[in-house]
Amino acid sequence: MSAEEPTVADEVRTTIDVDTDRPWAWLGLAVFWGWLLVRWVNDFLLPASVAVPGDQSFFPAAPFASAAESLAGTAASLGVVGVPLDFVAGLLSFVAGAIPSFPALARGAWLTIVLTVAGIALGFPIAVVLSVARVYGGRGLRWLSLSYTELIRGTPLLAQLFVLYFGLPLTQIVREIPGVGSGFIPGTAALVAILGFTINSAAYQAEYIRSALESVDAGQLTAARSIGLSKREGIRYVVLPQGLRYAIPGWSNELVYLIKYSSLAAFITVRELFFQAESIANDTFQYTELYVLAGLFYIALVVSASVLMGVVEDRTAIPGLGGTR
Amino acid sequence: MTLLRVENVDKSYGDEEVLNGVSFEMDRGDVDVLMGPSGSGKSTMLRCINRLTDVDSGDIWLDDTDVTAPETDVNALRQDVGMVFQDFNLFAHLTALENITLGLKRVRGIPESEARDTAMDHLDQVGLAAQADSYPAELSGGQQQRVGIARALAMEPKLMLFDEPTSALDPELVGEVVDVMADLAAGGMTMLVVSHEMGFAQSAADDIHFLDNGRIVESGPPEQLFERPEHDRTEAFLTGLQSGEHR
Repeated sequence: MSAEEPTVADEVRTTIDVDTDRPWAWLGLAVFWGWLLVRWVNDFLLPASVAVPGDQSFFPAAPFASAAESLAGTAASLGVVGVPLDFVAGLLSFVAGAIPSFPALARGAWLTIVLTVAGIALGFPIAVVLSVARVYGGRGLRWLSLSYTELIRGTPLLAQLFVLYFGLPLTQIVREIPGVGSGFIPGTAALVAILGFTINSAAYQAEYIRSALESVDAGQLTAARSIGLSKREGIRYVVLPQGLRYAIPGWSNELVYLIKYSSLAAFITVRELFFQAESIANDTFQYTELYVLAGLFYIALVVSASVLMGVVEDRTAIPGLGGTR
Repeated sequence: MTLLRVENVDKSYGDEEVLNGVSFEMDRGDVDVLMGPSGSGKSTMLRCINRLTDVDSGDIWLDDTDVTAPETDVNALRQDVGMVFQDFNLFAHLTALENITLGLKRVRGIPESEARDTAMDHLDQVGLAAQADSYPAELSGGQQQRVGIARALAMEPKLMLFDEPTSALDPELVGEVVDVMADLAAGGMTMLVVSHEMGFAQSAADDIHFLDNGRIVESGPPEQLFERPEHDRTEAFLTGLQSGEHR
């Protein structure tokens, strides 16, 4: 056991450090989240009398549009020399075109985050049970756990969402729950999507946690048993606290995947980020602009998630067990 | 007064016979050492005594507990039998102190503050009170093993098992662990030790049992085994050990 050898966790951390050590990335994230939070408060919390209307952007698009227009005109008169200027004009006109979509995308981002966080968080306890059953359970439990993970990982997430949304009578039940679909609370389709993501991410998280549990030295459980802890207690107090730390890098991957896979919820009518971008694109025919814009939103979310998980990893690090400190 | 009685214990893994009719007894306060070549069944013998391994046949009695009976509560039994491992096996996510308090709190049901006091006493006993808040990765091998001993002692066992406690240590760290074990022996702890530390065996052991191929070939006090072994096999092994020490 040598301390110098870089672990997988170290490598993952290094990439995150490269991302976040750049000041412009921090600045971009700060602006993004600042705007997003203000937008959500405005849309969901403020009374309609004081709030900016939900479909109206905070920023005027007209100045950008006119600046773009005059720059483009100047560029055209300069000929070849004006090409860089023309590029800037193009950027300004992209911003002008994007600004009216911001409010809808902010609402979409809210749902994307809710879907992802809820799917990961609710899937986590299920994953812990599945992975413990897989590693330490008897034949029956191992088989059950394996069947679940293979069934879920072996079928498309989209098919799972379709079965839940169109195949089962779930929507009729969910629709009756009071409060569904008002303000911060997601609507029926979103709740069904959360159920789908929970079921799905539980299987993937279980695989990450299983391999992490298997990397905990067998002597740890033996030592736990030898002081009189039961097998269950040994797993609870000795194996899991170590295994879950080993699982954090893989777990971060799952979070990043789910942020992007949550776009599949658009296909069962959930108005998340991708859905919003697509529907605006369908109305305005600005397909390239909207999908690029949605891509930028996803990048911001994914980088945020990486930063967050890096912090979690460092906070939970123990000398000799994960982390970089 | 007999504390541990091992009678005719057999154990096989598949076709391989690991223990073959092993019998011995220990009185309260005895220190016995198991010696023998690797694969002779020493570690398996220890693991049968705290039921980390089940015997195929034979009996083991600890006080009036029938160790091998299926209805015996193994978790209760293991509180009476402390175990120290070759690779220390300290709980990697817990500090030295927490390694000790875990069992006190979760097995013996002692409240947190009292558990910490008790754990500090045991760390002090092995000379590591100053390292209470260090994690295993921050301790030397010798220190880790001393915490391992303190962790086992904290459960107030009747018997302590040591499974090659010094063989994973750098030579210069062996002394500190042997010293702690010698202190324990002098304090009256009943100890069954798998070790090839001749110095410890010579000074602390009441009896040495020489195992080969799953059988006790020869038993006796150190001076008898080291100086007048009855069996050629014992003599050859001990001679090898002694010359190995000068390597």
